[in-house]
Order: sequence, then structure tokens, then C-alpha cells
Amino acid sequence: MDRKIIWRILIILAVVGTAVFALVQKRIPLGLDLSGGIHLVLQVKTDDAIKAELDDAALRLKTLAAEKNLALGEWSADVGTLRFQVGVPAGTDRDALRQLVDDYLPEYSVDAGSDTWAFAFKPNIERNIRDLAVRQALETIRNRVDQFGVSEPVIQRQGIESNRILIQLPGVDDPTRVKEIISHTAFLEWKEVLAGPAPSRDILLTRSGGQVPTDAVVSTEDREDESGTVVGKDYYLLRKSAIVSGRDLRTARRGQGQFGEPVVNFYLVPTGGEKFAEFTAAHIGDPAAIVLDGNVISAPVIRSRIRDEGYIEGNFDIETAEDLALKLRAGALPASISYLEERTVGPSLGRDSIVHGVRAGVVGLILVILFMVIYYKLSGLNAVFALSLNIVILLGAMAYFGATLTLPGIAGAILTIGMAVDANVLIFERIREELAIGKTVRSAIDTGFSRAFGTIVDSNLTTLIAALFLFQFGTGPVKGFAVTLSIGLLASMFTAVFVSRTLYMLLLAGRDRVETLSV
Amino acid sequence: MHIIGETHIPFLSYRKLFVTISSIVVGLGVLWLAAGLLNPAIPGLRFGIDFTGGTQVLAKFRDTPDLDRLRRALTPVSPDAPVIQRFDDAEKNEVLIRVQVPAGEQADLTRPILERLTTEFNADIGRRFDLNTQGSRALTLLLADADPDGVAATGADPNEHYAPMAEAVLDYRKQHGIFRSLDELNDVPELSPAARSAIRERAAVGGFALLGVESVGPAVGADLKKAATLAIALSLLGMLVYVWVRFQLPYGIGAVVALFHDVITTLTALMITQREINLPTVAALLTLVGFSVNDTVVIFDRVRENLRLRRGERLEDIMDLSINQTLSRTIITSGTVLMVVLPLFIFGGEVINTFAFVLLVGLFVGCYSTVFIASPMALWVSRLLAARREKRRARGRR
Repeated sequence: MDRKIIWRILIILAVVGTAVFALVQKRIPLGLDLSGGIHLVLQVKTDDAIKAELDDAALRLKTLAAEKNLALGEWSADVGTLRFQVGVPAGTDRDALRQLVDDYLPEYSVDAGSDTWAFAFKPNIERNIRDLAVRQALETIRNRVDQFGVSEPVIQRQGIESNRILIQLPGVDDPTRVKEIISHTAFLEWKEVLAGPAPSRDILLTRSGGQVPTDAVVSTEDREDESGTVVGKDYYLLRKSAIVSGRDLRTARRGQGQFGEPVVNFYLVPTGGEKFAEFTAAHIGDPAAIVLDGNVISAPVIRSRIRDEGYIEGNFDIETAEDLALKLRAGALPASISYLEERTVGPSLGRDSIVHGVRAGVVGLILVILFMVIYYKLSGLNAVFALSLNIVILLGAMAYFGATLTLPGIAGAILTIGMAVDANVLIFERIREELAIGKTVRSAIDTGFSRAFGTIVDSNLTTLIAALFLFQFGTGPVKGFAVTLSIGLLASMFTAVFVSRTLYMLLLAGRDRVETLSV
Repeated sequence: MHIIGETHIPFLSYRKLFVTISSIVVGLGVLWLAAGLLNPAIPGLRFGIDFTGGTQVLAKFRDTPDLDRLRRALTPVSPDAPVIQRFDDAEKNEVLIRVQVPAGEQADLTRPILERLTTEFNADIGRRFDLNTQGSRALTLLLADADPDGVAATGADPNEHYAPMAEAVLDYRKQHGIFRSLDELNDVPELSPAARSAIRERAAVGGFALLGVESVGPAVGADLKKAATLAIALSLLGMLVYVWVRFQLPYGIGAVVALFHDVITTLTALMITQREINLPTVAALLTLVGFSVNDTVVIFDRVRENLRLRRGERLEDIMDLSINQTLSRTIITSGTVLMVVLPLFIFGGEVINTFAFVLLVGLFVGCYSTVFIASPMALWVSRLLAARREKRRARGRR
């Protein structure tokens, strides 16, 4: 046999062998739309993180100014523009204040007016804080998802400076609960109760003259009846700064209370334990409020000095206690988040899609095979052989590159079947034309392939260009379609041109004269 | 075997007729498109939640759902009336619920919808554990807490003991979509008899189960709309440049005008049928762009070859000859693609149906425009350019 033919066969065997090997080694990962699962895009509200830092800085400035005997006026936080303002009375030593700011709040730019000074973050510092908030959120969400136990989760930031996070969790069967676990800020604090509970805000504030003292905040607790429906609110006046917070937690676990009701047991780190022990020792008999994201969940009376271990009650059922413990273990989110996009596909829906898609594909494949064999006879068989190799290579390439198979991807693969034979059709039609003008079989095949080759490249390139734009534009499933279509087209150029040609060479090899060609 | 033999159809001599008809069709299509986009009262393109933003829930009901009751129950969720329609076969009891998110808000309406459905359809089960909405982890907790097999006494971890049972119960739900009665627990062999009766005691089957949820914020929807428009426009531009570089400017213009025709006509078909436009629909439109220009390129390729072989002949005749020479290929290739797209349209299922529809329409439209629009446009532009060259040369001589 011709050495050229042997080489070609070896190349084909190598390509097909690699594809089969890849298929045996790895499975083609199914997209969420086929396997079932949830796809979430969420946004970290980084303004929250900035606001928290501003509050912190305002408090720091106030303390420092008091230490240096600098009189300062009214305070106000300007939420819209992310600044805080402080009144500077006429008698205040401005140079000393300036020095204070330079020494202790170097990350702020100060807009010093005649009677108020406005503080805002320097732009690069603000960017850092936002960036940090997103990274912390990412870390916390990762922790929570890990604790919840989802296999092969995807949790990543969308773009380097972006505040969007993409989450993909395959096979999750309770999306509502997972979404809640991910998005809950879960910032826990223990606070000293100054007054309350009271049935309304006005009654609560009667003792302090209707005003909220500067170092205090008002929080509420939902009041529930026996069936668990919220019937009203209890008002508490709490000290602003917390005794200990979620940051001081070592771990948390679901446990059982006195009457077997679900509670959350918590364990503090040593430093937190000291703070807590000191406070509880001094306040035996007083209530302390447990505050979750600004809402009081319970305000038990301190019965003894608590060091590093205790429990939280709060009308939990088993599930909410379990989830809260999980969130406390994983840590609080640095900022609140909102969902921009959610796509949940139940497994039964995904399975239906696969069944439908495969059925359509098989019907299409049979029709194309029948047509090619009837219309082009033996040459049609050649094309069918090339087509089957094309499918093997397509699947192998997808397995090798780990390209996800999505529902539109199945459609793409089916479409490839129809389009792949196009290259064969171009070649066969050309060969027929050449035979019709009286060329010999050998030269008709030669011209057919060489003339058709340019056309095939040109026409496939246009589809590839469209697929490129599609890939650029698309998300998940649509990207999967673009990838399948592109791989399928590239594979079809190989099979229809190279493989089919080799088959003809084999057919003609060893024969001096060939009178007819079945095409 | 031959479908068509050698043909000598003078396609280009009919060009005025076809170009006029197509211009009218495309013109009306563009007008309709613009009117629909500018005035929401006119039913133009029907955008799905991918582009408008909103929440779409596919729910399966235990009993035949009463759509009016469902509509009333969901009215408080959003100021706009919810869209409620049957999905797939009627006996599957599946309903698609779509609620628009009010503009400017980033609300995720999944939760309110779920709450409304629970109040309306799960009133009969009270606060019992609902096998149709809870997940396997919650069921594991329920079983571990009840511990019907008494494994805690033996020192084993109850969670580990009951997790496989809970997963088996959920697998059953995954396969069937919903539990219709507690008796179906008998079909889950993994459950120990004690665990089965523990679930029967504590749990109930609610009136509905969620099969899928899609929720897109209005801001994301607007972004996607922009991205889709840009992708289609850029792909047309890409084709213009590609054909221009590989052939000549007149052919590039001819191809891109034909593509514009294909896109507008297909969009018009979508407007007539009032099918919904979502991300996969745009994917189908882009595929159609690639596929349609594919045909055009094959003809232009032959024109280029024939121009070399037959110098001195009129471009018009060469084009006719080329179209005729490639006609059987054009028909056969469109035919093979039809053979796969038609089954996709018929058997592909609800989700992929509009996708297949666009390809199906695009196939015919693309085939037509390749023959009757692309070549006449290329001919016309190349004559125009030739005339201008001639004029410039004449002016130079003077």
C-alpha cells in the first residue's frame, strides 16, 4: 500500500483513538440545565461595608477629640454620598484637630468648611474596602456552602473589580433554603439592655425623655403567639457597642434547651470569653439582648457569670437552629447581598430535556444517514462513516476539554450533524460535475476535493465567526451551544475532507483503472 | 440519484420582482419592530424574563390546578398581573407562572410567590413537614430527631444513618416531580419500616412542588438586551468584513443585506407567532446568521471561480450560471439541516421549541435570500461602483 495512505490512516487512528480515550477517561460534565441545580448571580452591596467603616471612624474621632479636649459639634452621617460630617465650633483649635486627623485617620480626605468638616474615604482606600468586602463575602459564602455540603460547587467572582459573585450548585434539592443560607448576613451581637421590653417606641423612650441617647440604639423583637405567627413587636433600648459579637465565636452547634426545644450552643474564643465573663459577672439578674442583624432574637436574664460557653434561644425549629449554627460557624457577611439572577432547574425537568433532545437527535441522525446513502450510494456510506467519526471526535473533545453539555449544546450537536454533511455534499456535487464533463474517476475525485476545499473553509469560517460572537455574548447554556457548534464544525472539516479522502484513496489503491464511481 | 439535474434558470432576471417584494416585507417588519419597541401597547417582539427581568416559576400540582384560583392567589405579589399558563401535557399538572419585577427594583420574587402558593395550596397540611417542598437535608434532620430506628442508643451517628433514606425519598420526588400521596413512600424501598411510619406520622404531601425557578433582575435583563443587540449587530459587521476581505466589497454588502433580511424576516415571524424571545432564541438567531451566510459564500466562491474561467462574460450571466451550478448543493444542504431541525422542532420539547422554530424559519428565509437577495445586491453594488469609476475616469480624461 502507498506510504501516504498508511500515514493518513495512522493520523486518523491517532485522532479517533485520543477521542475515544478521552471519552473513556472522563465524563462530559452536564450543565445545570440538564443535571439540575441552582445558578445564582448575586451582588455584594459594598456600600454597607463603607458605611460600617464610617461609623467606626466617627466613633474613633469622637473619642480621640474628647481625650484631647477638642470641642466638636453635631454629628451626621451622609448616607447617600458615603461621608460623615461633624460640626466644628468657632472656638475649636483647628490645627490640633487637623493634626489629629492626619495622625489617626490618614485614610480619609477632609473637606474642611467654616463650621462643619466632612470626612470621606480617599478613592483608592474606598476601592480597597469594597474589594475586601467582596473577597470576604466570597470566603464566607464558600465556607457556608462547604459546611452545608454541596459537591462540586462553583463560587467565583465575575471579573476582577466586580462586586458580582457567581454561584453554581449542582444537584441541590432545596434551593430556597440554600439561598437563605447564602444571603443571610448573620451578624450576631450580645448587647447590654438599657430599657425594655416595651410595647411601643414611645413608651420605651419615656424614661430618656423621648430621645435616643447617643450611645444607644432601639431594636425590636418579634412577638409570636403559640402557633408561631408574628402578632406584634417588643421594643428594646440597647447600648450601641456590643459586649461580644460573632467575631468572638469559636464555634456554634445546634443543641437542646431545658425542655428539649432546639437552641444554638455557642463557644467563645478566649479573649471574647474574658469580655463576656467580666460583663456577666457585673450584671447578674439583668437581661442581655442577643441581636441578629439588628433584630433582637431573645433577651435572657443573666443568671450567673458566663465565660465562654452558652446557648441562644429564639423560637427555633430544628432546621432554623441548624442553619443559624452553620451561618455562625462560617462567619457573618461583611455586607448585605442581593440576588441579580437565579436559575434553578429541578432534576426532573433536566431529565425530560435530555430525553427530548436525544430523541430529536436520533430521528435527525437516521434521516440524514438514510438520505446520504440513498442519494450518494457508496459515497454516501463514506460520508456516514465520516459523520460517525465526527460525532466521536466531538464528544471526545468535549470530554477532553471538560466542556459542559447544556440543552442548547445538545441542539448544537444535532445541528452539527446536519451541517457536517454539508462538506461532503459540496465535495460529492463537485465530483459529479467533474464526472459529467467527462473526467476520469481519479481526476474527478482530485479536482472535487481540491476545488471544494476552499469553499468548505470559507463557508465554515463564517459559521465559526458567528459562534465566536455567540460565545462572547452568551452565559452558561448559550456558551455551551457555541462551544459544541464550533468543535463540531472543526471536526467536520477533518472528517469530511481528510477522512473521506483517505477512504477514496483506499478504494482506488491497487487498481489501475477505475471506470465508475458510486456517487 | 439526482433531485435536480442541470438547470438554467435565469434567477437574476427576476431580481426586480423579488427585491421589491422583499423590500416591502422587510420594510413592514422594521416598522412593526420599531412600533412595538416604542409603544408597549402594540404587540411586537415578546421578550421573556431574560430580557425584561422577572421571576418565572414552573410548578407541578398534586391535583388539577385551578388557574383562576392560582391567579387570584398570586395577584398581591406584583402590581402587574401574573402570567399563568399550562406547561407541557395537561395531565402532568404543570403550570408556568411568570411575574414581572416592578421596574427599578431588584426584588427577587421567588420567596413571595412561594409564600403565596403555600398559603393557598398547603393550608390543609398546616405546619406539618411538606414532602413536596422540603429538601433531603431537612428530611434527614427530621428523621434523626425522631430516630425511629433507635440508632442513637447504639452510638452511631443518626444523621449518617438517615441521610441515605432521605436522599432516596428525594430521588423519588426528582423522578416523579411530586408526591401525590403518602402511600407513594411504599415505593421507596430504602426506607426502613419504622422510618416510613415516622415520616407518615410527621409529614404530609403539599399541594405543589417547584420544578424550576428563573429570576432575572431588571438591570441584568436590560444589560442582556444590550449585549444581544450588540452581538447580532457585530456578527453582521463581522460577516461584512470577512466576505469583503475574502471576496470584494460588493459581495460583502450583498451578503450582509441578505443577512439583515433574514434577521428581520425571522423576527417578524416571531412577532406574528408571538413567541417569547429569550437567550437561546438569540443564540438561534446568531446561528442562523452563520448558516445563512454559509450558503451565500458557496455561491460567491463559484462566481469568483467562474470569473477566472470565463473572462469577458457579463457578471449577470456568470452569477446565474454559478447559482445554477450550486443549486443542487444549496437545496441538499438545506435539506439535511432541515432533516435535523424538524425533529428538533417536533420532538425537542418545550424548552427548545422556539430555538428550533427560529432555525426552521431561518433555514427557508436564508435559502431564499441567498439566491434572490445576496447576488442581485452584489451585482447592483458592483455596477454602481463600476459606473462611478467610469465617471471618474471620464472626468480625468476631460
